[in-house]
Amino acid sequence: MSWTNISVMCFLASYLVACGLEFSRLRKESAITRAFLLTFGFAGLIAHTVYLFVRSSHSDLPPLLSSSHDWLLVLAWLGVVVYLFLTTVDRKLAIGLFLLPVILLLIAGSYFVSDAPIELIQTDSQNARAVSRNVGMLHAGLLVLGATGVLAGLVLSLMYLVQHRRLKHKSTLQKGLRLPSLAKLARLNWWAVVISVPMLTLGMASGVWLGFQTKKSDTPISFADPVIVVYGIVWLALVVFLTRLLRTRKTDGKRVAWWTVLAFGFMLITILGLQIMAGGSSLESWHDSQVFFLPTERLV
Amino acid sequence: MNLQVVYCNHHTADLNVREKLAFSSEDQLTRAYDQLRTSFPNSEMVVISTCNRIELYTAQQDSEQAPTHQDLAQFFSDFHKLPVADFFEDFLERTGPDAVRHLFQVASSLDSMVLGEPQIVNQVKEAYEIAQKNEACGPLTNAMFQGAIQVSKRVRTDTRLAEGRISIASVAVGDFGKSIFERFSDKTVLIIGAGEMAEETLIYLKEEGVKRIIVVNRHIERAEHLAEKLSGEAFPFEQLNDWMAEADVIVSTTGANRPIVDVERFRAVREKSGKKPVFILDLGAPRDFETAIGDLDDNIFLYDIDDLESTCERNRKARHKEVDKALLIIDEATDNFMQGVYHQATGPIIKRLREQWHELSEQEMQRLFAKLEHLEPNDLQTIEKSIQQIVNKLLHPPLEALREEAREGTPHGLLDALKRLFHLRDS
Repeated sequence: MSWTNISVMCFLASYLVACGLEFSRLRKESAITRAFLLTFGFAGLIAHTVYLFVRSSHSDLPPLLSSSHDWLLVLAWLGVVVYLFLTTVDRKLAIGLFLLPVILLLIAGSYFVSDAPIELIQTDSQNARAVSRNVGMLHAGLLVLGATGVLAGLVLSLMYLVQHRRLKHKSTLQKGLRLPSLAKLARLNWWAVVISVPMLTLGMASGVWLGFQTKKSDTPISFADPVIVVYGIVWLALVVFLTRLLRTRKTDGKRVAWWTVLAFGFMLITILGLQIMAGGSSLESWHDSQVFFLPTERLV
Repeated sequence: MNLQVVYCNHHTADLNVREKLAFSSEDQLTRAYDQLRTSFPNSEMVVISTCNRIELYTAQQDSEQAPTHQDLAQFFSDFHKLPVADFFEDFLERTGPDAVRHLFQVASSLDSMVLGEPQIVNQVKEAYEIAQKNEACGPLTNAMFQGAIQVSKRVRTDTRLAEGRISIASVAVGDFGKSIFERFSDKTVLIIGAGEMAEETLIYLKEEGVKRIIVVNRHIERAEHLAEKLSGEAFPFEQLNDWMAEADVIVSTTGANRPIVDVERFRAVREKSGKKPVFILDLGAPRDFETAIGDLDDNIFLYDIDDLESTCERNRKARHKEVDKALLIIDEATDNFMQGVYHQATGPIIKRLREQWHELSEQEMQRLFAKLEHLEPNDLQTIEKSIQQIVNKLLHPPLEALREEAREGTPHGLLDALKRLFHLRDS
């Protein structure tokens, strides 16, 4: 089988099986289930990596820059790496129950998002190309790292709420649902929020800078672009959330967890929804892989 | 070949009998091994002595030299200066595969007071090491105890016999406390009252690293006594509210006949402490804390005896479900072990029989070849091969019968018959 024949379906199916096996551990834990689970997880990761690599080679762009489809898959890829690492290190930790469904959602979402390669900047100048590529890379990279933090915060908060509920209801530890302590989950969640919001802010700032660079080009990016506007609003909401979080006492773990689930859940759904709408041409947006041009002198 | 165990344990004897027969220190055990070696010089010995059991395993290559149940009881009687009649009824004996199965069950914690508890295998290991140190072990006891340690490991990995905590204190700390706090080393533990359960809980908390322990009691002298025992600090009951506000973990075991902390009192405590997480173990019966306290805010985690006991009971039931599975593993391991032992017993006879017959055939062949000098080397080789095959074919039925018999036990009758029929000497 040629590497180019690998499709999203290949790794989506692998992760789906791994997810099913994760849920089956709630009923019965066994070394065989775990071995199968890891096998499907790693098989999916290999297919996932090859798929991104092949697409990147075809578009001659890093996966982060090539399309919204690839950007979402990179985000999912990072989630899978974290999941497999933690599951390999700690055989009882129930991270997959929380993380895999979100990963599956991202991969399924990538189906409906534009996969046409983005030609970021077309210009005759090699230097201008290099600069635009680097800034674009910085923009997409910071956003994907910020989004990974968002993903982590969401998953950690869900785990916190489940653990808190168990402790308040005085339920015994359930098979296959071993979670870290509330204190640890709250601490990790706090860091996820504190790291992801500045990342997203810097990602937004680099995007704005890139937008300004196109002002005098033939196809300038409009800041009224619906995707940019909604992203701006979401970012603002997250900044407000971060400010509240920093002012909240650390002991208010449950409230912080709820805020995180709501804020980060809303953000992920918004990102996914917007990308899908842009990909389906319901929205007119540059993020729907439109080519734009930049005057050479502004970049060199 | 003989394997034997004499024992008394928590199933058979009261604590007052067990404590009289126990070997309380390694020195005492060393003296016991000295006496055992003198009394039974041809026996291998291992003594297991814990608070729940005193067991003496013996093994001999020659069954006739095995001490009797009475002999071993007499040893205990002489060593502990205790009349045999005081304990003989509680002092049981098992031999052969039953003795091996018993050891495997003990090491796998199937015979423990708390089913599946993990300490027993370490106690068995320790007993075996002390026996080795005293040069009391031999090939049979080595195989038995190494086998027991392996079987115990297999039972632990292949069944869920050791899963789930089953004591109130371990459930409290392991299932709940550790799910609230990341670490205990920086936590303050407040003990209210002086119940035994508090001490047991503290053992688990100390294992998790607790350093600061505060004891509050209506009687300051009792608080001081317990604090000294637990390496904590004692304070008068009047300071209870202050210490409840300071504490991260509260363990209450008073003998009060109604709650000593009501909702209003604890609300005042929370106003002072803020909403930091607090883990309350109300181990008093009747309860020391009003149950509604748990609903005051999200960071109060209040558990009473019933909450913890229900978890213990669930885990206990889950462990009992695994007993049959564990017994199957032990039966299989016992059969394998005994087959190995029986084969070991028949091994020397088989070897001697083979050697004797092949020696005879060799002698006859040399004599024959001396008369048949005209034959080519190839012909001699063919004759030699045929004679070897005849010998092997003749040996096959008796050896196969011996092997077959050895599956069920040492085939003493058959071995004697072979020795007499073929004039095999004991070497």
